[in-house]
Amino acid sequence: MSAIFIAIVAFGLFGAAVFISGFIVAVREAVRERRDGAPEGEWVDKGRYGWSAFFAVFASAVVIALAGVNPLWIYAGPLLAIVTATGVGIAFFVGRDKGVAAPSLERP
Amino acid sequence: MDKSILSLTADLTPALGFATMIGLGLFLLVLSFAIKTALVRNTHDFIIADRKVGFGFGVGSVIAVWTWAMAVMMSSAMTFRWGLSGLFWFVVPNGFAVIAMVPFARILRRNMPQGYTISEFVQRRFRRSRVASGIVTVTMIFGILLEILINLKGTSVVISTVFSIDWKVAAVVGIACVLTYSYFGGLWTSVMTGTLNTLMVTVPAAIVVAAVYEQVPGGAAAVFAAADAADARNLSVLRPDAAAGFGVTLAFGLLAATVADQTFWQKVWAIKGREVARTFFWAGALFYPIPICLGMLGLVGIAFGLSTADIGGDLAAVGPYIVSHIGLPLFLVILYVLAILAACYSTIDGASAALSSIVAVDVVKRYWPETREGALFLVTKLSMLLGGAAATAIVLSGIDFTTLVLTTYALKTSILLPLVLAILWPRTNTVGFVGGVVLAILIGMPIYETQGELIGTLSIVAISGLTVLTAGFFGSERFDVSTLRRTADIVIDDGAGVPIAEPAE
Repeated sequence: MSAIFIAIVAFGLFGAAVFISGFIVAVREAVRERRDGAPEGEWVDKGRYGWSAFFAVFASAVVIALAGVNPLWIYAGPLLAIVTATGVGIAFFVGRDKGVAAPSLERP
Repeated sequence: MDKSILSLTADLTPALGFATMIGLGLFLLVLSFAIKTALVRNTHDFIIADRKVGFGFGVGSVIAVWTWAMAVMMSSAMTFRWGLSGLFWFVVPNGFAVIAMVPFARILRRNMPQGYTISEFVQRRFRRSRVASGIVTVTMIFGILLEILINLKGTSVVISTVFSIDWKVAAVVGIACVLTYSYFGGLWTSVMTGTLNTLMVTVPAAIVVAAVYEQVPGGAAAVFAAADAADARNLSVLRPDAAAGFGVTLAFGLLAATVADQTFWQKVWAIKGREVARTFFWAGALFYPIPICLGMLGLVGIAFGLSTADIGGDLAAVGPYIVSHIGLPLFLVILYVLAILAACYSTIDGASAALSSIVAVDVVKRYWPETREGALFLVTKLSMLLGGAAATAIVLSGIDFTTLVLTTYALKTSILLPLVLAILWPRTNTVGFVGGVVLAILIGMPIYETQGELIGTLSIVAISGLTVLTAGFFGSERFDVSTLRRTADIVIDDGAGVPIAEPAE
């Protein structure tokens, strides 16, 4: 087995662990929120994604192009796929403590 | 590279194939039953998850519903057909289509916080026009049927290629598995099982693709050299024939596939409002690696000099063929099959959940508003079974579903700009919206048929958009967006006659 393969397997296991940890936390949170029954508070979303979106699209194009430059870049796909799993796992934690205790829009 | 070394991995029996499909289905069934018990009490929970889907589940489930059989198998197929240019044109617009939802999702979630479906928005946006909302409802239903049958086809291709099971049997077993588990929990089931399926697609895909390259004599360097030797253009992303052949058309088609698809709009209204925009951005960005990773199998197909005939006549089978013939250990082949099945199952259950919201809100509650909760809940759930059955019947009939593909394509592409303008431009009016869609189909589709995909697609988009703009400039109407806030949650008659939520005003 090559070093890159071993690295991908190890990284994959790490990514899966992050994902599953986040999944369990988020399931518990969803059940707790359901029991609480409180609707989402008032929210304002001022996030800007223009440059980030451009970067994401551009980066995907560059990664594909690089796979045609050097064979090592072929492994970028598998490594990034694990980043996806890890990213979703992180998203569970990032979205966790963002509760807003403002008056409800939906239920007076 | 000598393709004669490729032979089917031993012990890939039909029994193992059935066990894999049914085993995954049973696992998801247990999960969905637990989800139903904890989270689903009524139709509102079933179709919109009480609007409490969090950021992580939002990202995971959006990736899951967008990871079609197309993404996992066609990425390899397009690379196999066009080299890295095929992968480029397949992948780049794919993630962008999800990110493109961000502004529209943010606007509608803010202005119509208690919406359920995009057809419901159109109905309210155009003064309860039944024609406008009817067009959108029909388009959504066609789109959902197409999603289900394409992914059923994907399931049957991978199962028949790897396990030598009759593709029709594979399709029936596949749809039975999905509908059984998705029947229980609706959107919550779809969101949670879909998110879990994202894990099952990503990590296994990464390990299997890396293992395939380990198995190739000479590894990635040998594949790289062989692909280059076969045709130097295989390693370039700049082939103009790939762009003209499918790239530009696909880009518009993908945009229509998200912006004009209830599967995504259902998520917009189910995810917590403050997380909607961020969810679609993360989902689009994190989606990219999946087709990039699996697309690398296409280069292996090129390197071995495989022909379409070698892989059974279907380009989509190139990935499953390589994985099952290159000599990987049995468990890795099963892992790959599970990854494909996870992608197909999650898209089908996402589409079924979207269908349930359309039936509940745009059909039953619109035409029979007095329907009681018990009956509504039952009809909503049965609609998922009916949609699955209809799609399966189309697949099994063996008929060429080109007509359905073309009809859906025409409707979705025609609706794209009118819908975007309806969301963004207050002067968009009913005449422009309906006229734009109708004219785009009546004039644009004949152009599409006679002049080809590229000119046809551009014509459809241009005709629909110009019609809406013209009608808007000549009309005096200005839509008051605040009226959308009057949209209320479905009233849940729990016996005490108490609605679960009041209108926002």
